[in-house]
Parts: sequence; structure tokens; C-alpha cells
Amino acid sequence: MDGVMPPSRPHQSASGAEDTAPPLVVANLRKMFGEHLDDPNEVIADISFTLGRGEIVSIVGPSGAGKSTLLNLLCGLTPLTAGTVTWHGGVTHGMPKRVGYMLQKDLLLPWRTALRNVTLGLEIHGVPANDQVERGRQLLDMLGLHGFHDYYPSALSGGMRQRVAFARTLANEPEVLLLDEPFAALDFQTKVILESDMARLVRSQRRSLLLITHDVEEAVSLSDRVIVLSHRPARIRAAHDIELDVDRTNMMAARESPHFSEYIRAIWGELEVRARS
Amino acid sequence: MNAEGQKIVTDTALDGASPARKRPWVSSAARGTLLVLLCQITVLVVLLAAWEFATASSSLSAFLFGSPSAVFGFLVQMVRDGSLVTDTKITGLETLLGFAIGNVLGTMIGLALWYSRFVSRVVQPFVVALGSIPIIALAPICIIWFGTGLASKVAMATLSVVVVALVTAYKGALTVDIDQINMMRTLGASKRHIFAKLIVPASLGDIFAGLKLTVGFALIGAIIGEFMSSSQGLGHAIFKAGSLYIIPKVFAALVVTIALALCLTYVVGKIERLLTPWRNEA
Repeated sequence: MDGVMPPSRPHQSASGAEDTAPPLVVANLRKMFGEHLDDPNEVIADISFTLGRGEIVSIVGPSGAGKSTLLNLLCGLTPLTAGTVTWHGGVTHGMPKRVGYMLQKDLLLPWRTALRNVTLGLEIHGVPANDQVERGRQLLDMLGLHGFHDYYPSALSGGMRQRVAFARTLANEPEVLLLDEPFAALDFQTKVILESDMARLVRSQRRSLLLITHDVEEAVSLSDRVIVLSHRPARIRAAHDIELDVDRTNMMAARESPHFSEYIRAIWGELEVRARS
Repeated sequence: MNAEGQKIVTDTALDGASPARKRPWVSSAARGTLLVLLCQITVLVVLLAAWEFATASSSLSAFLFGSPSAVFGFLVQMVRDGSLVTDTKITGLETLLGFAIGNVLGTMIGLALWYSRFVSRVVQPFVVALGSIPIIALAPICIIWFGTGLASKVAMATLSVVVVALVTAYKGALTVDIDQINMMRTLGASKRHIFAKLIVPASLGDIFAGLKLTVGFALIGAIIGEFMSSSQGLGHAIFKAGSLYIIPKVFAALVVTIALALCLTYVVGKIERLLTPWRNEA
């Protein structure tokens, strides 16, 4: 919490073991809602995967496959039924540390200016006020919001609000970012620009990113790996290592890469998108 | 009206590029407001004129219904003898004190109930019971407990405010978006952080809606208290004039009461805009 961004590095942990361990390991995760075992509402049947340091992984799945539930499980916002979630080499109970979380809704606090929204997490962690403001300003500038620091969210566009939300997520310097459809509500152009900005920031700082999305193109253009979920109850149906021979921080270049459409077609096939549904 | 609007539009068109886009819109909005105000004044004047005419032509009993001119006469007299100022001061003070105590207490309890779901469930039937008591039924007890002076009226005003304030604040706290609470938790917020940085400011909208509502309730409480037993205040003036069948004086005191209510509501609205600047910008 003492560093000033940018440039910044993820936290150096005291123990070496934690540093070599992947930031997130999920093993045989299972989730049922409802109290009765004989009448289970099983949302997630069996999911295992690893998120490596500096890796961008996307999880795509059909609507209602329990993608958002999965994210809430990983964050410790919802208790899991079975399996383990290991953060930084240790099983965490409750809220994991050094993890940033962002949703489709920007969830900005309307009574705070853009800057004060960004510094919210720093405030909670007791960072001195001057450092808060400095880091908040740097983050907003970095995300192209120079001159909008003192605007209330109501005066900002959807794309700008989402940038502020992203800055707020980055302010705590998380090693791992968990994003749930962060750009789903934005128009295509804004989305591609924001995706590129995000890829640049995440890759240059060796952070890890887990993205949950229903947008296959977004998943392929952004990620090192795409995990495809089945219909509910969710299992892993396939995982693709994405290799596009282009600058991976340029989302338009990624879309024009020759292999791009092959990945898209393969993943669409696995999603079993049914026309009637 | 129309010709004036036309003139503004042409003027700004000649003015220059950027303001030309904005000003016609603003002026048409202002014109709308002006038109509404004009209609309101017309309605008031027509009603008063009809009333005056009806009583002057004796088709309406001036003794039972008073007349606008007589009401005005009593207003002037009340200003002259100083009773208007003292009565308004007393009732205003009772109302404000009750309003403040009731809202501070109610809002604090309402927000605090967010902290413990268990306690709020325990308390709920008691709140409903307290809220369902007609305020006038409490007046005799208030007078026995707090005497016939200022304190009993403040107590009445407080009682008519406190439950409403409690319920609106609690409702405001409960309707905070669960995703927003989760967002705070992922940033590492404790329950205390969530309360101070999210629940309280997020409830301000509801709290202020409650404040506007309870201005009137506090005034009702104070006036009822004065009706039951008092030696001064607007409620006292109304009650006394009513018992003596001086109807125009009843209306005169009523006019002052309405003016007081409007003033207090206006002040609350001003304070709201001052304290919640983010809601003005959109």
C-alpha cells in the first residue's frame, strides 16, 4: 500500500513459497443453492483451473451457466459447497487479499467525485490523504480521465464511469483482477478501446486477470486462455490456449489476426448456442 | 408570452454560436415555470374574489365564513399588536425543536437498526405499534408528563416525527444495492466502513424525503399540543378565535401557519441541495 502508481509492481510477499505459487488455483469447485440435499439446485458441478502470474484467462459460458456465481465464490462473497479455492498458495476464508473485483455495473458512489471514488479503497486501508489523492490522480490520468477528476459520476458517460471503476479497482494494487462482464454495457468502440487499455495495463505490470464474459470475441482477443463452460450445472467443456501473432494489447489487431476466427468458430461450437433459445 | 419568446430566440441567434444553442431551451423552461406560476396566482385571485364577492353580497354568511378583507384586517391587527410575531415564534420553535429531536433520534435508530438484522426484527412490531397510535391520543399524556408549557408541545412534535424518520431511514439503509456492499467488501471494507461510507450517504435521499414529510408532521404535533392546553402560539390563536366565533381571525392565523409550513419546507429543501450536491448535476 505504500507504493505510488505508476509504474508499480505487485506486492512482494515475504515468503518465497507464496511468490512462486500461482495467484489462483481452483480445484473441483462445486456450488448448490437450496438447503435440501435431495432437491439440489446445482449451479456449478465441477470446475478446476489455474490462473498463473501475468496470465489473462477468460471464462465464457452460455447465459445462466453460473458465471457470476463462480466469481462470487472466488471472492468469498458466497460460500462454496465443495472444492477448494487457493489464493497465492494458501486457502483463504472470506475475502482474498490483493484481489480486485469489478462488475458490469460500475457501482460508483454517486456522492463522491471521480477522484474520491478511485481513492475509496485507499481510504479504507488508511492510506494518508495526500498519497490517496496523488495515486488517484495518476490512475485517472493514466486511464484518460484528465480534467474529469472532480466530476460526479452522474456527469460522466458510461465509458468514463467504467474507467473510473477500473481505476478504483487498480488503486488497491491488486495482483489479481476478477472482472465480470465489465464492458458489456458499453458500445463497441468504447469497449475495444477500454479492452486495449486494460490489456496494456495488466500486461505491463504483470498482473493476472480473470475475465468472465459471454462475449467470445472479447475473450479471444484479450486472453491467453479461454475456458468454455457447459450449460448449468457448469463444468469445463474446453480450454483453448490463444496464440495470435500480434501485439496482444491491440484489440483490433487481434481481431484481424488469421487465427482469430478459427478460435471464435471453435468456441461458438462448444457453447451450443441454440437458435430457439 | 409568445411574442416575448420569439424575441429571445431571434436575439440569441444573432448573439453568436454557442449560447444560441442553449438559451432558447432555458428560456422556454423558464417560460413554462412562469406560466405555471401565473396560472396558480390566477386561481388564487379568482377564489379570493369569489369568496369576497359571495360574502359581500350576503349569499354567503360573513359571520360563518369570514371574508378575505376581514382576514386581511386581522392579519394587520396581529402584526400591529405583535401577537403574530410572538405566536409564530413560539409555534416555530416548538415545531423546529420537535422536528430536530424527532429526526435525529429516528434517523439514528433507523440507521442503527441496519447494523443488526436480529435487533431490527425484534423491534419491528413495537415500531409498527408506535406508528399506528394517532398522535392526538398522546396529547393528554404529554401534558401530564411535560406540563402546559413549551416542553409538552415539543414532545408532541417529536412523537409525530420520530416514527416516520425511523422508518424512512431504516428503509433507506435496507435498500442499498447489495452489489455495492459487495464492492466495498472486495475493497477490504469492514462493516463499520460500509456503514459510514456507504449506508449513511446512500440513505440521505430517503432521509431528506422523510425530513420534508416530517416538517408538516412536526407542525401538526405542535398545533395539536397547543389546542389541548396553551397560552400562546398559532394553535392557541386558532383555538381561541374559533371558540369565540371570530372566523376571520381563525383564517388569519391559518394563513400564518401555512406560511410557516412553507418557509420550513423551503429551508429543508435548501439544506438538502446544499448537503447533496451530486444530485443537482445530472
